[in-house]
Amino acid sequence: MSWHPTILNVSFVTLVAWAVFLGAFTRRVELIVVTVPLLVAVAIGRRARPAPAWDLSRQLSAQRLVEDERLRVTFTLRAHTDLPLIEFLEPLPPLVHLERGRNHAFFSLRDGEQAEWSFELRCSARHQLRLGGPHVRLWGPLGLAAAETRQREPATVAIYPRFTALRRLPRPARTQTFMGNHVSPAQGEGIEPGDIRPFVPGDQIRHVNWRATLRLGGLHVTQHHPERNADVILIVDTLSAVGPGGATVLDAAVRGAAALAAGYLARKDRVGLIEYGGVLRWVRPGSGRAQLQRLLDTLIRMDVVFTYVTKDLDLVPARILPPQALVIAFSPLLDLRFVKAVTDLAARDVDLVVVAVSPIGPTRAVVPPSAVADVAARLWTLERRAWFDKLRRGLTIVEWDGVEPLDLALASRRRPRRPRALPA
Amino acid sequence: MTRLGAFALLLVVIALPLTVLPSPQLCWLLVPAFLVGGLGVVALSAPVTTAGAAVALIAYAVALLIERPPPDLVVATLLGSALVLLLTVVHFARRVHGAAVSPAALRSEIREWSMAVAAGVLAVGVLTIAGTALRLLLPDAAAALVIVGALGALMAVVGVTAFVSIEND
Repeated sequence: MSWHPTILNVSFVTLVAWAVFLGAFTRRVELIVVTVPLLVAVAIGRRARPAPAWDLSRQLSAQRLVEDERLRVTFTLRAHTDLPLIEFLEPLPPLVHLERGRNHAFFSLRDGEQAEWSFELRCSARHQLRLGGPHVRLWGPLGLAAAETRQREPATVAIYPRFTALRRLPRPARTQTFMGNHVSPAQGEGIEPGDIRPFVPGDQIRHVNWRATLRLGGLHVTQHHPERNADVILIVDTLSAVGPGGATVLDAAVRGAAALAAGYLARKDRVGLIEYGGVLRWVRPGSGRAQLQRLLDTLIRMDVVFTYVTKDLDLVPARILPPQALVIAFSPLLDLRFVKAVTDLAARDVDLVVVAVSPIGPTRAVVPPSAVADVAARLWTLERRAWFDKLRRGLTIVEWDGVEPLDLALASRRRPRRPRALPA
Repeated sequence: MTRLGAFALLLVVIALPLTVLPSPQLCWLLVPAFLVGGLGVVALSAPVTTAGAAVALIAYAVALLIERPPPDLVVATLLGSALVLLLTVVHFARRVHGAAVSPAALRSEIREWSMAVAAGVLAVGVLTIAGTALRLLLPDAAAALVIVGALGALMAVVGVTAFVSIEND
């Protein structure tokens, strides 16, 4: 740690120079006397200082938070030498606001004394919050010298996207082999009644439909559809994003994807994730709370990585994107490479729903309000609507503005129902 | 609070030349000094405050030049001490602006300021005694002493500048 003079020395020296010049010019001793306190102050400022020593520890109130929750940061400082004036500044990372207290503090401690300092941060958007450790500045007498260092103490806090539980989820057209909550179109053991057929040897008595038997004059049994789970793959478009920090279309997409992931996992489905952007990343389909944690950890790291390279979803292994899976894609549909990718998926008869996150609201948030902006927004809305009408000939598109509950947007989904029973 | 203290010190710096020459003409220099210095205090800028203080120093020199009073070291010491405190307080206020300051830190700073002022006053006293003794030994050498003193102070400035520009580990 090295000491360096501060700007205050220049101020003192300037005044001394003026006083000396004026004193010589006017031949008045008073002006020379004026310089004496200034020179003494400068001399005091350069007084020798012992090497400072201290311990600084930091405690965080949580390692995982949800957007808009508060994080309490507490520092404990213990001096091992006299610290006449020590300054701490914990820089605030982006998307973090100071809610209570100060992230900048001054202390004066004697050898062995201890001080505590805390403040609260509000994390306004999902991300991996990294606190690098405070900048430390030691001040010499009168602030004429200072020494700086950085207390390297990195800490990471995961800020997860905020989402509400969804009541209605898009039903997958195809189910898997494990028990779940979706009614399978296949016949088998289950509680969902299906067709009625004549009794054949081997049928269980409890499946006999007595009402139909009496009406038709012969034993008839009720067939059932088994409840099975489904594979759901969420694709998030990270090729482009618009909007203010923390409220971009990508943030909205991440919130939507997190809500769907939590909803499907709660229904015992297997959920996977694909990040389609400058980097093609994925999470294998899985189920349970650990999978939700994996998905959320991946979602909070999602960011736009610019690239000219077009990624092909054919590169994704089949175990990551199973052909029987329900694929839900979140995208502002601003990049035609993503439109092509989902069109290719739909052409492969993949059960696909595209949630088109509207970029108009987030864009308007960063554009100063004006009549021209209003007209432009209306034209853009009409243009997108016309384009979606064309795309709907092959794609299931759900428009979502990122603000209204995702349930409402998904409820407006229209697609042809597939036959519930497999042909005999 | 620190701004109020700095304003009080600025008023002292502005008022001291008026004790030498209470003339409206001097206000032509002191009003700009107050405005510039006040701007420095409001903006918590030590360089701007220094500019205002320099103008006040010029006003003090003009007052001495016009009035030619007998040497008054008390006013000069007061002015020097007020300048030290003014710049230090403004600089401190800028550093702690928006920060949490522990009461111990504030007490420590006030103690430092008091010590600096006391040391300055003590130095003036010692130099005055030394100067008086020298004058008794060497009569009719007042002008020469001023010039030698000025040169000495100038050398001290150069020395201090060189001293503070060397970093020590």
